Amino acid sequence: MTPMRAMVIDDSRAMRMILKRIVTKLNFEAVEAGDGKEAMDLLADMTEVPELALIDWNMPNMNGLEFVTKVRADPRLREMTLVMVTTESEQSQIVRALAAGAHEYVIKPFTEGAMIEKLALLGLVPTGANS
Amino acid sequence: MTLSQAEFTFVANLVRREASIVLAAGKEYLVEARLIPVARAVGAANVNDFIGDLQKRPNPAYQRKIIDALTTNETSFFRDREPFAALTDVVLPELIKSRASVRKLRFWSAASSSGQEAYSLAITLQETLPAGWSFEIVGTDISTAMVERAQKAEYSQVEVNRGLAATQLVQYFERAGAHWRIIPALRKNVSFKHMSLTAPFPPMQPFDVIFLRNVLIYFDVATKRQVLQNAAKILRPDGLLFLGAAETTIGIDDNYERVAAGRTSAYRTRTAAPAGAARRG
Amino acid sequence: MSVEVEVDESDLAEMVEQVWESYLDPEGVSPLIPTYDENQPSEVHSSVSITGSWTGHVVYASSRAAAKRAAAAFLAMELEEVSEEDMSDTLGELANIVGGNVKAMLPPGAQLSLPQVVLASESSARYPNAQRISGVYGMWEGEPVSISMWQVSTDNKEEGA
Repeated sequence: MTPMRAMVIDDSRAMRMILKRIVTKLNFEAVEAGDGKEAMDLLADMTEVPELALIDWNMPNMNGLEFVTKVRADPRLREMTLVMVTTESEQSQIVRALAAGAHEYVIKPFTEGAMIEKLALLGLVPTGANS
Repeated sequence: MTLSQAEFTFVANLVRREASIVLAAGKEYLVEARLIPVARAVGAANVNDFIGDLQKRPNPAYQRKIIDALTTNETSFFRDREPFAALTDVVLPELIKSRASVRKLRFWSAASSSGQEAYSLAITLQETLPAGWSFEIVGTDISTAMVERAQKAEYSQVEVNRGLAATQLVQYFERAGAHWRIIPALRKNVSFKHMSLTAPFPPMQPFDVIFLRNVLIYFDVATKRQVLQNAAKILRPDGLLFLGAAETTIGIDDNYERVAAGRTSAYRTRTAAPAGAARRG
Repeated sequence: MSVEVEVDESDLAEMVEQVWESYLDPEGVSPLIPTYDENQPSEVHSSVSITGSWTGHVVYASSRAAAKRAAAAFLAMELEEVSEEDMSDTLGELANIVGGNVKAMLPPGAQLSLPQVVLASESSARYPNAQRISGVYGMWEGEPVSISMWQVSTDNKEEGA
């Protein structure tokens, strides 16, 4: 079985390293992008669509909300699970992201355990993987 | 480290006695970091003076401040998940049939601590019960500080990041400064009271479901048996008792039998009426 | 008309503790111990600016040793492996996370800038017209670290008068 793949989209290299470490621990193969535009370009060249994307909100070129909207408009990318990972924590922002098509929302700062629990909620890791 | 071992022990004992929370070894610096702002707020010169004064003259208000400072982020919403999944998938569909005439459910969250379990139950019921049904959730805890915290219903960002789906966060919470507070519409069905599980129980209306999780482990066998016997008296004959994953009634109180509940198990009293039997009341 | 700041020192302290719990001290064994010393020295700093419903800066400042340790904890590296870039990226992200959370507590319409990192001492001259309104000052494993908020006084008071 080929491993599941996760895109980590954040303009902060430090945050990408944290997220990459967590998904790698969960046996995902990680693909990094520095903004939404770069992520869309990478997706265009991929024959197999990653199962998961962890997406920052505030990024140059194409922000996370625009990325989510574009992914949702593309039938080829329908199966991707989209998780916003951002400091944007006003309730109205969470509602906007969910309305645009994000499946889950993790507020920074997050613990590794919280991220794993969210992915478990989405059925991407077995429950109890954190214990 | 400015806290002496004796001072740390005094604080740890206070928190265990008043809030039933055990401060793990190795967290001495964290305790110190959280007590410094408390000491400063009450005008003590430093944390040593603050604890020293408290050892000489107990001060309930200060003790409360210490407990509040040291007992955050200790539990999460939908802890262990399985019991909640069992409610949604198996238990509630059954109860919706058997309680069709009253259309009201009563749940007990025993040892409710800061209230996450009681509110997780409320969210589960809110999302599962058909229109026209109502529910009541009673949380009880031995710590009045914890009862007040649960009534306040405010949780930190770290606490709401865990266990809750994003849709639940936006639907059942509202921002309150740096915190998130359960909305009044959900809070109105949940109440919290002070109660010791090891003392004789106060009079309570019977419950359809009791969550008594991860608390029996702290008691000796005789106390466990007494708590289970008291709980049986306020559990409806066909109601269910949920214990922690590492707990059981087996070998302690044989009036209960274990029954499957989704991917986990729960307990029913052996006098349980067969399904479909007429109920009074 | 200037907006009343709704972020007080205890809110800031809570955010800072959450950053420690999440990234810098997940085991809860080496927290930031409060000193309340506003004049503690610093060698490196990072900041984000907020404009809109509130205007000001959120600033991280610490010794180099603390910054290096922060990067090592954040990036799961050995202390010796930490490069200047690692330190700079980590400090930028720390300011960004605290700043983003501060922004979420302000009235709608606030914008967050990209983080700026200066691997040199913090100086109040960097923030013209800004006044420190709250801060968390402490020692982390014996090294000074602070997170503070600076409000920029806007000169458009007559609009609200």
